[in-house]
Amino acid sequence: MTAEAPAIASGSGGVAHADPHAAASGHAQRGISNPILGMILFITSEVMFFSGLFAAYFATRAANQPWPPDVFADILDPLGPIIIATIILITSSFTCQFAVWSIRRGDRRGFNRNIAVTFVLGIVFLIMQAFDYTLLFGEGMTLGSGPFGTTYFTLTGFHGAHVFGGVLMLGVLLYRGMAGQFSARHHDAIEAVSLYWHFVDVVWILLFSILYLL
Amino acid sequence: MATHALSPAIPAYRGGIYEWLTTTDHKKIGIMYVINSFLFFLIGGVFALLVRTELAAPGIQIFQNEHVYNESFSIHATVMIFLFIIPMLAGLGNFAVPLMIGAPDMAFPRVNALSFWMLPLGGMLLLLGFLTPGGAAAAGWTSYPPLTERGPLSSPGPGQDLWIVALILIGTSSILGGINFLVTIFKMRAPGMTLFRMPIMVWTILVTSVLVVMATPVITSALVMLFIDRNYGGSFFLPDKGGQAILYQNIFWFYSHPAVYVMVLPAMGVISEVLPVFSRKPLFGYKAFIFATAGIGALGFSVWAHHMFTTGAVFLPFFSLMTFLIAVPTGVKMFNWVFTLFRGQLTLSTPLIFSVGFLTMFLIGGINGAFSASVPIDFALQDTYWVVAHLHYVLFGGSVFGMFAGIYYWFPKMTGRMLDEGLGKIHFVLMFIGFNLTFFPMHMLGIKGMPRRIADYASDAGWNDWNLAATIGGFLIAASILPFIWNVFISLRNGKIAGDDPWEGNTLEWATSSPPPPYNFDRLPEIRSERPLFDARHGLAAHGGHGGPGDEEAPKLLEEGDHDDQGPGDAA
Amino acid sequence: MSTSPRKGPASEAIVAGGVVILLIAIVGLVFLSGAGSALYPPKPATAQASEVSALYDIVFALAVVIFIAVEGLIVWSILRYRRRPGDVDLPPQTHGNNLVEALWTLIPTVIVLYLFAISWSTLGHVDAITQTPPGPDVRIHVLAGQFQWQFEYLDKDGKHLATQTKPNGDGGGMAVPVGKKVYVTLDSGDVIHAWYVPRFLFKRDVVPGQTNHFEFTVNQDEAGQTFHGQCAELCGAGHRVMLFSVVAMTPADYDAWLAKLVETANATPAPAPSGASVLALAAKNIAYDKHALEATANAPFVIDFKNEDPATVTHDVDIKSPDGSSVVADQAPVPGGSTGTYSYKPLAAGTYQYFCSVHPGVPGMTGTLTVK
Repeated sequence: MTAEAPAIASGSGGVAHADPHAAASGHAQRGISNPILGMILFITSEVMFFSGLFAAYFATRAANQPWPPDVFADILDPLGPIIIATIILITSSFTCQFAVWSIRRGDRRGFNRNIAVTFVLGIVFLIMQAFDYTLLFGEGMTLGSGPFGTTYFTLTGFHGAHVFGGVLMLGVLLYRGMAGQFSARHHDAIEAVSLYWHFVDVVWILLFSILYLL
Repeated sequence: MATHALSPAIPAYRGGIYEWLTTTDHKKIGIMYVINSFLFFLIGGVFALLVRTELAAPGIQIFQNEHVYNESFSIHATVMIFLFIIPMLAGLGNFAVPLMIGAPDMAFPRVNALSFWMLPLGGMLLLLGFLTPGGAAAAGWTSYPPLTERGPLSSPGPGQDLWIVALILIGTSSILGGINFLVTIFKMRAPGMTLFRMPIMVWTILVTSVLVVMATPVITSALVMLFIDRNYGGSFFLPDKGGQAILYQNIFWFYSHPAVYVMVLPAMGVISEVLPVFSRKPLFGYKAFIFATAGIGALGFSVWAHHMFTTGAVFLPFFSLMTFLIAVPTGVKMFNWVFTLFRGQLTLSTPLIFSVGFLTMFLIGGINGAFSASVPIDFALQDTYWVVAHLHYVLFGGSVFGMFAGIYYWFPKMTGRMLDEGLGKIHFVLMFIGFNLTFFPMHMLGIKGMPRRIADYASDAGWNDWNLAATIGGFLIAASILPFIWNVFISLRNGKIAGDDPWEGNTLEWATSSPPPPYNFDRLPEIRSERPLFDARHGLAAHGGHGGPGDEEAPKLLEEGDHDDQGPGDAA
Repeated sequence: MSTSPRKGPASEAIVAGGVVILLIAIVGLVFLSGAGSALYPPKPATAQASEVSALYDIVFALAVVIFIAVEGLIVWSILRYRRRPGDVDLPPQTHGNNLVEALWTLIPTVIVLYLFAISWSTLGHVDAITQTPPGPDVRIHVLAGQFQWQFEYLDKDGKHLATQTKPNGDGGGMAVPVGKKVYVTLDSGDVIHAWYVPRFLFKRDVVPGQTNHFEFTVNQDEAGQTFHGQCAELCGAGHRVMLFSVVAMTPADYDAWLAKLVETANATPAPAPSGASVLALAAKNIAYDKHALEATANAPFVIDFKNEDPATVTHDVDIKSPDGSSVVADQAPVPGGSTGTYSYKPLAAGTYQYFCSVHPGVPGMTGTLTVK
């Protein structure tokens, strides 16, 4: 039987020829590309991470009535600066998608413009969130001020960290875009990052809804 | 290129240490996973021996400070679960999966290297706890708050924080590894390798990876919350500040129950490869096996609260029912394996013997699990040594025997040399006896009321004899590792040259040289079933069975093969 | 390339069958000889435990049958179907069999559904709480703290009667009347503990911030028995010492015991024996305020002990002999926020160690008693 195995490997009749990369390329042409599938799976795991935090939030909220506690009854005003931050983040999701559409058309200048706007909007969101935190700290609400503060800052903090990560990725895209590294055919990284950015946006909409509106 | 394939004895891993440290080759990374995991197995084993020595007889033997005893079993379990079993199986998968599906490497080789290197880093952080004031984490591998919150009698020191950070690191490594496996399996299969022609090992890694990607981030969230509680004044799990202690358990077990399947499914995959090869028969009920695996994966998310029956905070009937039901697909697999052996032509090589060890021991782990699934009986058994017996019959009797089957099975492919059969059998016999001597008496201890995680017990409690037996068994297990290490050592130097396919294997990894070239394959055989090499050896006609789905499926598979999946080079 | 079923020599079948029968015989012998009783629960002490024990018997019988059947099949296959040197032809390439596979899916499903059904029905009794008036006969509020139990006895309306602070040993333990419904509520002041009595075949976690409860009735024939109990959820370095006992009494004895407990609790503390020296000691944050005390040799003395920790944290001041081998004075712990007046018998001159039996090994909870 050992005599047979090399025969297979050396390729007699009926044996598929494969150069070292044929195995990969045989299927790689179909469906979504590896980086995009990888990003989708990564986002899935991120969804589960936030699900854990959200589950903790709802469990904590259900066990602590009234919610918010009286001391912080009106501290979270949905019509305060946070609504502007929300609009900014949602807008950035659109500009990010415009960037994707631009590069799909092969419009590099359009891509660079849109991705730069997205990048700046992401930074502005972070600055506004930091500003919002200082306002809350000023009113005595911190991570340590009971379940309300703990859940609020944990949820928004981890979201902020994800925005920060997204901004870094956008920065890399912008740099690579300005270096002309993307084309209509070659831009998996852009598709992947835009998926991530939309995910971050959706998480924020959920967060805004349950923290400020619900 | 072809010369590579024709010179199987060439050690393809000649490169220096720098080459190994910087490699992105899935085979080398897989082997590093295996070695790293084995080292942590030894570390975890030392802690186990310390614990068993303490419990050998009533009275304090070695731990004047009982906190150190608590550190020992906590670190034992954490190391064994997160730094041994999970990464060892991930390592075998890392080595085998791309080969089995005919791919040149993992989808993201550099991410693969990153996943690996996070493990020794995480392990070192974990063990660093012993050097901190207050020692390492000492609240069990479950680390339930409020015991893990800061408090004079709870977990005041940084050891618990290091435990949290280490687990987050290791978890991230798992998630990245899981994503890598999934993309590899979905996107990198060779022409002809349809989903239902994949080896069962690949299927189990696929389901495992789904569990890892879905469940691991959830425990990360629990750990992050615990960290915030401990260090930034949070109140998630602190009842006196408005938090809930049980919340942690729900989130923790939402991950940690699926984690049990993460620890056992790949081992099931290994033996599902070994049994058919060594009985010269196909796996009995290939598709049923896949559906059972997927069923376990899905049900695995709905049974977590069976670890919490005694908390008074869970809906008992639902979780009891789901727990009983998950026994069904597991039972189906057991019968599939046994009927694979049944009426075969068995060669009792070491991989098969370890696989049979898996079957016989995992069966006990399933049966004694049924006792705990029954809520009233669990009220008696929960947190006693019965549970310790149960989990070791699943994780040691199942996973560890399975992974040794895998190591003996793939060692020739990894190194080009065979392990010694005689030493392998000594290893098995010692380990099998030691294992049963250690863990079977724990059933008796548990049912007679000995709680787990205690450093000492009264001499009149009636637990002395069984504890002594368990301790002797523990040292026997330790002794069984010595012939294995010696075997690896001498076989690497003088072992029999393996050749490409020493076992008459069924799957693609045996179609390339041993060890394989960096790009894995020069040529791939036609893939028309889940046993492409078997087909090449015996012809497709050999597939005809009598009765059962095999008859209807074989021709259908052929047709599919003819129309789809013709790779570019396949036209000839 | 024959796929004909092999006609193996009978010898292999005989060996394989013999081994299987031998295994069955050994398992049978183990149980017939009574050695198998090691795998049975201890004699149930409560009505609830008796039901669990009966359920266990059913599950156990099924487990043994399945164990023998499947292990027997594995051993049979391994021994019977060996590849012999002459075996070139393949064995039958059986890929599966729909009927067999359906059967081995269906039969286990039926078995586990049956097990679930009987478990659920037993659970209904084990987990039941008497709702109908007049409710349970005895109400006990169990307080757990690192690393001690307290048993607070309540009247029918849930009002405090008295607290038993000595969880085991002489005069200690949670006393209950046999044949009466005992309703227990559980609270923890710090971490999670578990109330576990092996002979009750029962445990329940004691979770901070969540009051758990359960009910049990000790069997009539257990009067006079003391049941060992222990914390079953890891609660820190003193987890192992968190022992207690449940003392079963006839209802009459129980009433007398409870009356005495109430009387002792309400009595004004006995004045210190005249002439005895009085030492002051306090504990806060799991540490004594003084780590060295002095007393006169061969004279009785008193320690005025003040526990300044939260209510669930109990402390005491016990004394070890100079060589550390035995405990020469064993006092009942006092809960946080209260004081105890501990009287000690005369001690011979020497250096003793005093310590808190609730917190053994905690550095702050020991001290040196010099007797001169």
